[in-house]
Amino acid sequence: MTMATEHQKSLVLVIDDDPSVRNGLTLLFRSVGFETRAFGSAQEFLQSTLPDVPSCLVLDVRLPGQSGLDFQAELVTRIPIIFMTGHGDIPMTVRAMKGGAVDFLAKPFRDQDMLDAVATAIERDRKRRASEKILSDLRALFETLSPRECEVMALVSSGLMNKQIAAELNLAEITVKIHRGRIMKKMHARSVADLVKMAEALGVRRTNQK
Amino acid sequence: MNSKSPSSALPGVPGLVAVFTGLFAIAVFIIDTVTPLDIAVAVLYVVVVLLAAQYFSRRNVLIVALGCMALTLLSYALTHEPEIDEAAGRCLVSIAAIGATTFLALKNQSANVVLSEQARLLDLTHDTVFVRDMNDVITYWNSGAEQLYGWSRYDAIGRVTRQLLKTVFPTPLQEITAELLRTGRWEGELVHTKRDGNTVTVSSRWSLRQDERGQPIGTLETNNDITEGKRSQDALDRAQTELAHINRVVTLGELTASIAHEVNQPLTGIVTSSGACLRLLDHGSLDLTELREALQSIINDAMRASEVVQRIRALSKKTDPQKAALDVSDIISDAIRLLQRELSDHHASVHLELTPTLPQVIGDRIQLQQVMINLVMNGLEAMADVIERPRRIVIRSSQTEPDRVLVEIQDAGRGVEPQNLDRLFNAFFSTKPNGMGMGLSICRSIVQAHGGKIWASSNPDGGTTFRLTLLCAVDAHG
Repeated sequence: MTMATEHQKSLVLVIDDDPSVRNGLTLLFRSVGFETRAFGSAQEFLQSTLPDVPSCLVLDVRLPGQSGLDFQAELVTRIPIIFMTGHGDIPMTVRAMKGGAVDFLAKPFRDQDMLDAVATAIERDRKRRASEKILSDLRALFETLSPRECEVMALVSSGLMNKQIAAELNLAEITVKIHRGRIMKKMHARSVADLVKMAEALGVRRTNQK
Repeated sequence: MNSKSPSSALPGVPGLVAVFTGLFAIAVFIIDTVTPLDIAVAVLYVVVVLLAAQYFSRRNVLIVALGCMALTLLSYALTHEPEIDEAAGRCLVSIAAIGATTFLALKNQSANVVLSEQARLLDLTHDTVFVRDMNDVITYWNSGAEQLYGWSRYDAIGRVTRQLLKTVFPTPLQEITAELLRTGRWEGELVHTKRDGNTVTVSSRWSLRQDERGQPIGTLETNNDITEGKRSQDALDRAQTELAHINRVVTLGELTASIAHEVNQPLTGIVTSSGACLRLLDHGSLDLTELREALQSIINDAMRASEVVQRIRALSKKTDPQKAALDVSDIISDAIRLLQRELSDHHASVHLELTPTLPQVIGDRIQLQQVMINLVMNGLEAMADVIERPRRIVIRSSQTEPDRVLVEIQDAGRGVEPQNLDRLFNAFFSTKPNGMGMGLSICRSIVQAHGGKIWASSNPDGGTTFRLTLLCAVDAHG
């Protein structure tokens, strides 16, 4: 039941030039509650606007006119891809996996294998989206810091004590303390360790500042 | 040599006849001279002349006739005074009778000589000549026929031809007879069985013989043994069929990826649709319309997979060409379907410009499909290292002549040197490093066997266009 509701918020995208493969997959994904959108070609896919929900792409490695692998390389969004092939060959598999494919299924595949692969891919996309969300939230918070606070945050996260920071920036120790308190508050950091992690995630470094 | 000819069946006859004729002449002379009968005994010399004409040469017959006349005169001179009386009249009548008989006998003899000369000529030819009457009963049988079939003229004359020779006709006998009666001639290939049981293929020419009133009285049949030629032609045809088959099998080997795809696509549809149905049934959430649609698409997919398998089987089978009326568009799209994956692997596309209302062509589906596959594969290989322009193959069909359909296959490849355009179709000629040089040569032999032509020419903007023509099937009003 929880699965079903989760699925409703996720989307499986199918690209295959063969209508019977598209229809079969659409019905299969519907049977476990995934929303599905099917496309006959990569062009068709690129021209469509898609909802911003966890999703994955199921596509034939040999798309007509353009290979699925080239398409994978061109895709801007890092959407997880499950490749299908009629005649699996090793170099293609290697390229697909290096390009970040979740799975590689030889047609005809067992329906359970496909469903497992799709579940994994959707989960991966959900996590990716979640971490991207955290990061963008963090970035928004970081934007609220003043330039001076950014400098202090970089020095704090590099492990310097207030006294050292004060010496570094030619400030009174009390001023550093005030900045620090403000930073903790603005960034919603519960501890210094938390702030250090955030600085790492944001790529805030001492050398980068100034 | 003519030991079997009736005129000399008994070698001693002329000698005996000569003796008998001589004795008969002497007997007539004695009776004419010695007996006092007042009748024209000398007229009996006619018998002597007739006998001589039967067996002696023209010159000897004349000598005999003159001799008879001389004997008549001698007999008259010995028994009568030279005066105009009844006896003299009888003598003149006799001489006139001998003269007339001689003239007629010699004329008849020369006609016979011509006939037997003709018969001898017919015997001299290697061709088989025989005559049969309107009931198909053999009335003449030359030595060529004796040699070919193994039956002597005594065995053959009087027999029914098609029973004796177990004739196999190319078309129903009624049609042949109708043509013979209408035009007075017929030509065609027949298969006959010889006395030893072996069959022989002959090129047969029949001519109808008619009497003065134009009534058909018989058929002169001249047959030429073409078994050997036919056999080598058959061997050549078989070799070409085998080569074409090998080419198809090799091509299929190169197309395994495409074929696997063609089969696996519908199988994927079947597996996913059935899996989906099972899951929906388990949930109890499958409505009947949806189930029906899913089952229908499963059936369609299964049929599609089996069609692919059949098509592959047909291509890999070794069969003699079977001519039928075919749609060029069907042949082209069947071939393209097998090449779909090959095209995408080569990052190439096929653009079809087919004229929809073309007449059907006559041909073997498999072989023509093979020609299209070979030509498209050839185009793909020609474009393998082209990067500056789209790798596009254009296939066009049109009708340029009333009885021919033209198919063009144009590639955007590197092109062919002008001096190589004609050599492309030679066996073992290839401009490709690993080409066998068989594909185009097989295309040509197939197209030619279909009564068509194939040729290549360079495109003004690069690449090569192959053109081939195929004969249209004759329709009901054509």
